[in-house]
Amino acid sequence: MKRVWWAAVALLVAGCGVQPTGVTDGGEAPTGVAPGVTLYFVDADGELRPQQRQTGSLGTISEALSLLLLGPGGSGLRTEIASTSTPRVGVTVEPEVIELVTPLTIDDVTPLGIDQIVCTALSTHVQGGGSRSTEVRVRFTLPTPESDEQRTCPLIG
Amino acid sequence: MTRRLWLRGLRARLLAAFALVTMLGAAAAVWSSAGSASTALVTSYQQQLTQTIDEQIGAVTPQLTYPPDQDALDQLRAAVGTNTLVIYEDLRSVDGADTDLVTDELRSAVRAENRLATQRITVDGKPWLLVGTPIMITAPDGTRTPSGIEVYSVRDLTDVEREIDGLTMSAITTAALALPLSVLAASLAAGSVLRPVRELRDTAGRLAAGDLDARSPPQGADELAELTATINEMAESVQTSIAAMERMQADAKRFAADVSHELRTPLSTLTAVVEILADTTDEMEPDARESAQMAITETHRLVRLVEDLMEVSRFDAGTARLRVEEVDVVGAVRDSLRARGWLDRVELVAPEETLLRLDRRRLDVIVANLVGNALRHGEPPVRVHVSASSEQVWITVTDSGAGLPEHVLPHVFGRFYKADAARTRTPGSGLGLAIALENARLHGGDLTVDNIDRGGGGGARFVLRLPKDPEER
Repeated sequence: MKRVWWAAVALLVAGCGVQPTGVTDGGEAPTGVAPGVTLYFVDADGELRPQQRQTGSLGTISEALSLLLLGPGGSGLRTEIASTSTPRVGVTVEPEVIELVTPLTIDDVTPLGIDQIVCTALSTHVQGGGSRSTEVRVRFTLPTPESDEQRTCPLIG
Repeated sequence: MTRRLWLRGLRARLLAAFALVTMLGAAAAVWSSAGSASTALVTSYQQQLTQTIDEQIGAVTPQLTYPPDQDALDQLRAAVGTNTLVIYEDLRSVDGADTDLVTDELRSAVRAENRLATQRITVDGKPWLLVGTPIMITAPDGTRTPSGIEVYSVRDLTDVEREIDGLTMSAITTAALALPLSVLAASLAAGSVLRPVRELRDTAGRLAAGDLDARSPPQGADELAELTATINEMAESVQTSIAAMERMQADAKRFAADVSHELRTPLSTLTAVVEILADTTDEMEPDARESAQMAITETHRLVRLVEDLMEVSRFDAGTARLRVEEVDVVGAVRDSLRARGWLDRVELVAPEETLLRLDRRRLDVIVANLVGNALRHGEPPVRVHVSASSEQVWITVTDSGAGLPEHVLPHVFGRFYKADAARTRTPGSGLGLAIALENARLHGGDLTVDNIDRGGGGGARFVLRLPKDPEER
């Protein structure tokens, strides 16, 4: 009888406090490190093609888009985005959608040029740990219905 | 021993059972609630810590040069906070001594699974949370590969533990508050159960003591009330049957008294006639004389029987009275023997003089009966021994016969009891010993019988015990 009592008391005491555990899974590991950023340009066949820029780190979506607007450099690829004097893009990341405010009008880009912007933004977002199913809204300077469209990258997702 | 007895009491058992049940219930409630609360608390705290670390790392990684140099590792470590260890190949960035607590188990899990891992450990009674994670490189298509950077962070859980302890203590305190309430409830319950039980006990005690009118009123409609009602019924029927029995007994006694009284007048006439007859037997024929002698003897027997019956009736009716006077017992016994001419057949062993207050006639009746029986049924020598203490006097009558059979002993004082069925025509009435016993009792004394040698062959021994002062019974 006495032993039962002690067992009960021990059980009670054991129920209190913080108990040690073994190793338990804590979910996805963080990500975001990268030797550089991925930009999307168009090759000779008119296909989208990723290009690695060794910037040393991944950087932000805004930085990646600035690099994209500056053009492909001497790499045999071309861009379908007209050059601009202010290659700066405003970026707002919401849970489901990334909104980009570009310094371009709809006439400055071809549909492939829009894909370049979408793919570059989404690629940086995914490399930084974001979801691949996130959609991108590209806003242009002059009012156009294209500004409200939610887009996905044909190469990602 | 007293404690054990106390524990066996109904009240104590009820109290103990109530307290035990309450304690068990409260303990179970405390245990389960405190257990689930503490688990929830620890889990949420742990999740929060893990998420914070994950977010802190995720916030700096896009700006981190890769492959990282020492500066990059330091930057990462600073973002996660103190007690953090960052490793990349041969490079280490350490802050805080507690990072030594990181277990090999956690390291190998981090490397093997490439996922964030946690472990709770207790070192020197202090709880810690270990968080370890690799940092992954994600390709644009979503495939993840380890970057080779690992982050380990050690977080103190003492605050959570203190919070849990507080929670448990308050739960135990609340449970403890239930104990006095349960004891109170148990006392009330025990009282409500025990009161009727006590009343029943008192009633049963009064019934046993002879108070047949004792009843306890049944209260409520529970099992105890049923028991009370049953006991009342039992008392009722016992009372009824005893009353009937007493009435029948009284009727029988009155009948005996009436009969003996009615017989007295014709008997006295008959006695007178028989005495005249006795005077004339000498002139009779031998046959007629024998018949006349028998009639005379039987008439004398009949007279004695009726006298004895009347004496017994007086005892039964409670009308027998003592005529107490100062008597020398030894002298009185000797007078009794002398009056019946037994002095030479009986050995009297007695002190010189023993004064006692008693009814001389009744003592004579007892002694005559005992000695008469001894002479008639036992073997000589018959011995009468008188002895006295400061409070009582014993008169012992013994004979040297075979003694009384064992099965007869309890019945010798019964009315009309005959030890030997064949010996019906003895001169006694069959009431002598009954009357002797009643006389002894009337004096506040007693009359007992046994055999001198219990094995047999020792003769019967009757002991009359009389107190020195019959008024002080």
